[in-house]
Amino acid sequence: MREEPVLSRSTARAAGAVIGGPPERQRWVGSRARKTLRNILLALPLIALVVWTVTPFLVTLSVSFKEKAEVFADPSLIPASPNLDAYREVLSSDSFTTSLVNSLIVGIGTTLLTIVIGVPAAYAFARFNFRGRHLLLLFTLLPRLVPSLGIMIPIYRLAVILGALDNRLTLIVVYTGMLLPLAVWLMVGFFQQIPREIEEAATVDGASLWGRLRYIVGPLAAPAMITIGVLAFREAWNEFTLVLVLTSTPGKRTLPYELYLMQGIEGIANFPGEAAFTLLTVLPFVLVYTRVEKYVVAGLISGSGK
Amino acid sequence: MTATTAPRQKSPSRRWWKRDPGPSGAGSQFLVGQSKVTPYLFSLPSILLVAAILGFPVIYGVWQSLYRRETIGSPLEYVGWENYASMFSSDAFWHSLNRTAIFVIGSLIVGTGLGLFFAFALFRVVTRLRFLRAVTVAPYIISNVAAAVMFRILFNSQFGTLNRVIEWFGLEGPSWLADPNLAMVVVIFTQVWTDLPLTILLLLGGLMTIDKAYLDASLVDGATGWTRARFVTIPLLAPQILISTVWLSYSTLTGLGVVLALTGGGPLKATQTMAMEMYTVAFRSLEFNQALAIATFILVLNSLLTLSYVGIGRRYDYES
Repeated sequence: MREEPVLSRSTARAAGAVIGGPPERQRWVGSRARKTLRNILLALPLIALVVWTVTPFLVTLSVSFKEKAEVFADPSLIPASPNLDAYREVLSSDSFTTSLVNSLIVGIGTTLLTIVIGVPAAYAFARFNFRGRHLLLLFTLLPRLVPSLGIMIPIYRLAVILGALDNRLTLIVVYTGMLLPLAVWLMVGFFQQIPREIEEAATVDGASLWGRLRYIVGPLAAPAMITIGVLAFREAWNEFTLVLVLTSTPGKRTLPYELYLMQGIEGIANFPGEAAFTLLTVLPFVLVYTRVEKYVVAGLISGSGK
Repeated sequence: MTATTAPRQKSPSRRWWKRDPGPSGAGSQFLVGQSKVTPYLFSLPSILLVAAILGFPVIYGVWQSLYRRETIGSPLEYVGWENYASMFSSDAFWHSLNRTAIFVIGSLIVGTGLGLFFAFALFRVVTRLRFLRAVTVAPYIISNVAAAVMFRILFNSQFGTLNRVIEWFGLEGPSWLADPNLAMVVVIFTQVWTDLPLTILLLLGGLMTIDKAYLDASLVDGATGWTRARFVTIPLLAPQILISTVWLSYSTLTGLGVVLALTGGGPLKATQTMAMEMYTVAFRSLEFNQALAIATFILVLNSLLTLSYVGIGRRYDYES
């Protein structure tokens, strides 16, 4: 099809290769000893990769189990007397609980709104022939042309004028607007893979547009919807640049903003508290991570591939 | 296909306002996708919302950058390009441009280097990718602020694990975040840590789509190891390297979270990138219109990057 994402064929192929099955394994030639040596040498970069990724998490985990003073007194990685004081402190603080609720509401709201608005638009772009279809091409470029940094000040000024500061709904709408191009673009690709003939057969059998969407297209596109859902939730959960300017009063902020503020509040930095806060912020994702990892990868690649 | 196939038509006008024949095979002979109203009904909410959130603020911002308030509270006055003139004549702006250049180029070198290294490593064990892929992607689910907190703990001069390791070798660990040069290094590494999952996956995907024939041929010609990587594999990876390059520069040029949460622009403004400068001018000095000039400059710079990316992407797509 002509309008297939012009920029991304090579990336799409690469994405398919990463998500899809493994290629054939390379066979090694050489003696057994050489093989063992080779395997060890090959493992070293992989160990480096794991160390590179995991170290920051481990260090944070270690600090989160210590007392404030103990952090400086005993810098070893394994705490001498691990305790959950930092977690207790964070979980009982208003700043964490209210921002957790805000993050959950904003995250779920963004996810739902992105799907509700984005999926029909993608279907229209994929199936119909109408004026404005070429906007899809613009959609593929917009997120790259307009980073959140670029609209940070204007959005703030506009929110001030509209009296929309400190409002969860504002965050949901803004995040949805930022995510839609990517979500729509991703869904269009999925919809185009669903053969038109299936829908035509259903039409012949008397299915309405709603019936086709409900019983044929919807179920087939479910994986794509999960992908954009995960993508939208992650973005709303982690977004910092815009929430920094769109909220200001306590009780309205989301988790990243509260975590940012936590650094400066106390005279002596509360490292165990910060560490516990960080890990508790990450926790919801870690819990479901193994289940959604595939979708995260898909979203990650499609987020860049344009 | 017969020999009399018509020569491939030149692609029709790309102008979006011209009605085009539509998606593949969407002619009048199809039962599905013929409604006149439904597509507008379906797509309008998205188009309007995107226009309102991504389109309008940019136009509004550029327009407002032509105005100025002499003092806080006084009315806005039209000043033309004066905000831009004072931006280009301010030392702080040039300093931040210089810092941004170091930040972007440093991240590119570290990010591409590490990305290639890890992608090659993963490619060798691609059959057991499941676990390693999950590990690789983990930083992507972390917010920039969380990453900054983790790296502040890791790089802490008194109890940070990194300095403990350095001490173990019998050396004195530096105070990373207090030293202007080292602070930039920490910022670069933190930024790269958050962006590396994508770089690795892009490069790994590129490696996996390289035609085995090239590698076999190079093997026959006696190229192995580093020679093969240097002269065969990496040139074949060029599209993916370019894509990840532009992506990394996009993310560093427009990234605020890591710098703000990690150093706040300090020490001694050593990590005051353009993003930080824009934020400081707007929300610390409250000179919003002046800051919008910086924002516009960043947008233009970023657009140039993106457009070069489009050019690169097209060239490689047409070649393949």
